[in-house]
Amino acid sequence: MVPLSYNVRSLFVRRATTLATMAGIALVVFVLASALMLTNGIKKTLDSTGSPDRAFVLRMGSDAELSSNIEAPSAKLAMDAPGVKKSAQGPMAVAELIVVAALDKTGTRGQVSNVQIRGVSDDVFAFRPEVRIIDGRPARPGTDEVIVGQRIRGRFDGVELGASFELKKNRPVTVVGVFEAGGSAFESEIWADVDTLRTSFGRENLFSSVTVQLESATSFDAFKAQVESDKRLGLDVVRESVYYEKQSGGTATFIMVTGIIISVFFAIGAMIGAMITMYGAVSQRRREIGTLRALGFSRLSILLSFLFESLVLAVLGGAIGVAAALPMGMVELSMMNFMTWSEMVFTFDPTSSVIVTALIFGSVMGIIGGFFPALRAAMTSPIEAMRD
Amino acid sequence: MSEAQSAQCAADEERQGEQGVYRGTKEVKTIVKLKGVSKVYWRGKEKVEVLHDLDLAVPEGAFEALMGPSGSGKTTLLNLIAGLDVPSSGSVRVADAQLETMGEAGRTKWRAENIGFVFQTYNLLPVLTAQQNVELPLLLANLSSSERKRRAQTALKIVGLEDRVRHRPGELSGGQQQRVTIARAIVNDPKIIVADEPTGDLDRHNADEILNLLDKLNREFEKTILMVTHDPAAAERASHRRHLDKGKLQ
Repeated sequence: MVPLSYNVRSLFVRRATTLATMAGIALVVFVLASALMLTNGIKKTLDSTGSPDRAFVLRMGSDAELSSNIEAPSAKLAMDAPGVKKSAQGPMAVAELIVVAALDKTGTRGQVSNVQIRGVSDDVFAFRPEVRIIDGRPARPGTDEVIVGQRIRGRFDGVELGASFELKKNRPVTVVGVFEAGGSAFESEIWADVDTLRTSFGRENLFSSVTVQLESATSFDAFKAQVESDKRLGLDVVRESVYYEKQSGGTATFIMVTGIIISVFFAIGAMIGAMITMYGAVSQRRREIGTLRALGFSRLSILLSFLFESLVLAVLGGAIGVAAALPMGMVELSMMNFMTWSEMVFTFDPTSSVIVTALIFGSVMGIIGGFFPALRAAMTSPIEAMRD
Repeated sequence: MSEAQSAQCAADEERQGEQGVYRGTKEVKTIVKLKGVSKVYWRGKEKVEVLHDLDLAVPEGAFEALMGPSGSGKTTLLNLIAGLDVPSSGSVRVADAQLETMGEAGRTKWRAENIGFVFQTYNLLPVLTAQQNVELPLLLANLSSSERKRRAQTALKIVGLEDRVRHRPGELSGGQQQRVTIARAIVNDPKIIVADEPTGDLDRHNADEILNLLDKLNREFEKTILMVTHDPAAAERASHRRHLDKGKLQ
């Protein structure tokens, strides 16, 4: 084998072209790593919202809470079905209403975006122990008070502790608390009293969903069979975790596919850059290659030597790209969830698999971009090379 | 001369060609034997015959200078002997290998074991140190790193550069660079050293030092040296001189 130090030092000697090529590869890896981190962030947010030992009930045929209407008697029957865990106060279950409000985004000139508002009952904190107030206090039942998720706080006009905004025209509400919910999608919602919301939006006697705490995860089948077999109810039952997985699916896939498409287009450019750099290196070092061939180095060892050089270039570029993408983990991105048509805030989630995938992608770029120049080097005739 | 004597002479010549020549009382093996060698290149549709029906026998341990005008085929002949090229016709037998029958990969491996190269323009790898350049041929042998290092340092000591092992080519003079090239040529103990204009880029003083070194390798280390040169003074240092003109040995 040709000594690896030969290739590494040759890269150092041609600093300018080496840095330019590395920058191109770094950019591609940065875009890909960011897209994968955001995809992960979306999945993590929405997946962490559901629990497998809770069942989620929607109107038959609805695939999201926004398009689901459940009448109060049906909701009550679902809550009383077998398999639902009971407490001293009765079945552990909540019936909630979802509406969407168009609010002005903070710092923009009249730009509005949808925000999901969840009508909750006063026992919601008992039902969802992962939710806790981190600033202010809970809203009092039956009032025009609301609490907001920490991720949405300050992102819309009036969505800040002590401020107020209009749920709908001439229906102001006041923010009295900020809550966290373990990084789940609830943190991008505004929670209001369910009765206030029903009255405000003319949805009396209706809920969007019913969520029940099962006696155990294995009670799900019995509960589902009972609720779905009653044709009068017209309800569908899924595990809460499955529902939120489906919610994340479309958005996450869209981000991932978009990211990959952009990365692939960028990658073509970066590979051409790497190819030009390596062709330049081969052309510049023709005599050296001829000498190595004369000394007895095989075509394969020359090929591998230049492939290694290209790989080093790509791995260094990839490492820079990943390093540049990691601080994105501190960035929160507000975007539309296609299932709820409302704004949600996601974080970039850097995991080891994202880092490894991005580095492999960069390395593959180096190998593909470097292959043809390396092949040219391997096919160099020592006689012609030394005659130059 | 009688018919019987002529027949005996012919038989002796034939034997000499196949097995070797007698130098004094010691039989010397023929290490390079070319028979009926022609080399043709095509320049577009034009046929260029660089070497024409050439015969050559070089005894082992010789120091031969190959002279001739530019374009006479000297370097082509050297390339054939070094296994860098194959003849269009004829046979090339060097160090017990029939080169024209070997494939490209086989000749590459054979070169690594049997040939040391000295080039006019040194052809050192500029990013490697003198020692790393000298170690290059040893990377093709199954040697430990410490053994490679030891042998490279020994070779550099032979050429008088033991104090320049860590210098890169750009930090050495032309004469020193050529000495590194010679160290690289001998480090794997090849049978033959081919030198193409080894003093072509050097002043008289450095040229003499390089020729002294080649002479030392020939006499003390019994290396067969084939040297292409334009320089009559350099050719004078060889034990035998051959002249090539228009693809034929004169």
